[in-house]
Amino acid sequence: MSSGEKLLRRQRNLIIFLLIGSLLLFSWLKLQSDRVARKKVPGSSIIYLPSGKYLKHLTFGYSSLVADIIYLWAIQYYGNYAIPDRFKYLEHIFSIISELDPKYVDPYEVGALIAVYEAGDPNLAYKILDMGLEKNPDMWIFPFQAGHIAQMQKDFEVAREYYRKAMEIPGAPPIVKRLYAHAAYRTMDYQEAWEMWKEVYETAQEDWVKEIAYNHLYRVKSTVDTTALTALVNKFREKYGRLPSDLKALVRVGLLKEVPKDLDGKDYVYDPKTGEVKPARVWWKR
Amino acid sequence: MKITTIARNTFKEAKRDRVLYLLFFFAAGCLLFSRFLALLTVGDRIKIIKDVGLASISLFGMLMAILMGTGLVYKEIDKKTIFTLLAKPIHRVEFLLGKFLGLVLTIFIMTGLMAAVFLLILFLHTFTVEWKILLAILYIFFELCLMTAVALLFSTFTTPILASLYSLGFYLIGHLSWSMEMLIKKVKSGAGRAALQVLYIVLPDLENFNFKTEVVHNLPIPAKLLGISFLYGVVYTAFILLLAMLVFRRRDFI
Repeated sequence: MSSGEKLLRRQRNLIIFLLIGSLLLFSWLKLQSDRVARKKVPGSSIIYLPSGKYLKHLTFGYSSLVADIIYLWAIQYYGNYAIPDRFKYLEHIFSIISELDPKYVDPYEVGALIAVYEAGDPNLAYKILDMGLEKNPDMWIFPFQAGHIAQMQKDFEVAREYYRKAMEIPGAPPIVKRLYAHAAYRTMDYQEAWEMWKEVYETAQEDWVKEIAYNHLYRVKSTVDTTALTALVNKFREKYGRLPSDLKALVRVGLLKEVPKDLDGKDYVYDPKTGEVKPARVWWKR
Repeated sequence: MKITTIARNTFKEAKRDRVLYLLFFFAAGCLLFSRFLALLTVGDRIKIIKDVGLASISLFGMLMAILMGTGLVYKEIDKKTIFTLLAKPIHRVEFLLGKFLGLVLTIFIMTGLMAAVFLLILFLHTFTVEWKILLAILYIFFELCLMTAVALLFSTFTTPILASLYSLGFYLIGHLSWSMEMLIKKVKSGAGRAALQVLYIVLPDLENFNFKTEVVHNLPIPAKLLGISFLYGVVYTAFILLLAMLVFRRRDFI
């Protein structure tokens, strides 16, 4: 081997040695830099994101892809418990995704779940789902989910309205009608609840659905009857200064034409000591 | 001596490149545009100006480094001037270092000019000179030095178009590699996780040079981090240059 070749080989070995050395050194430096905590502005990465309408123009036709990226990022961001006020921009983020890809269903559903279960803000969940319905008027799932959230919050007026919307969208499953009927009962619209459960009963294909509908019909009728009978019992007490001995006494004094029976044809149970009127059976135990 | 001569010539050559002025023109345009963009915001306008300004310097500086760096060696080979150069007592390593330093000097001057325009615009809004901004710009410059080395590396073995694409890929990886940490947490321990961890350490982390958020929001920057980031930049740049030397040494021009 000539001295020139030897020199070249030595140079090559030196470069390789330096390469390995620098590789190890920058790897070590990388680990060191990771250990230094950097101050961050919570949510700074999203505060200044422009609205979806404007952002769409900046995506150069990749709006769907950008929506995916923001959505994936949002999931990670909202899973980060180190940012206490991360929910402040929840609506902003999900409205951006909605503008970029209006037909993307998951973000509306997940956004609403984050809003209600993580942020504890059902109104925000309704807003996100309303956004979904506005962009996808044929998707019953949005008002259905909103109705479910309202039902969980015991806000049956809101739940009823959302179930009504869901019911009107073609393709909505039969359970929506049942939930609407239940919400109508809880908002004390017994007439509507009766009509709806009757329709469910008459149109049901399965026996178990018929049974559920019948139980609810039993409940609606017994609620209406026992409420009316209790009012008449109170009227009797005001007039005669005592409670009636039985429900037939209301007929005898002309307050009632006939004592109603429950849906099974059984008499309501009356307690002459307290004046309480209740159905013969518990509706859901029938 | 030879290195400085090549660097000086590279700088002279770069000065004549019209791409440089075109990019500077666009960068200045963006810096001025930030003033109008700020009008659209509700709240702190200065924040928008600072964000757009720093992003413009970073982005156009990166384009300068890539577009000019990727042609550095290729042009010499394409025009056959490399034969004349290497026939002289110039080592290939000296040739590469000279090219690198010449372009770094060009980038330094261009970054300085962009910074001057930016500071002037800021001064016209706030009537104060925010020197802290210069810290963010300095680290942008360190990042651009690394990008110049990367462009030079690719320039030693491929065409400018491909080298530009590879350099752009390096830039994107460098700014996204931090998110691998999240991926590592999701992957169960095993070979896959170990491979990801190695990749996470070895891949460039250009976020180490990103102090834009801290400067704009006036957040404290740990001195230790500044030191580590500087060293990281120096060592990574040296690593890339060594790699370029290794490739260029073996390059056959016939």
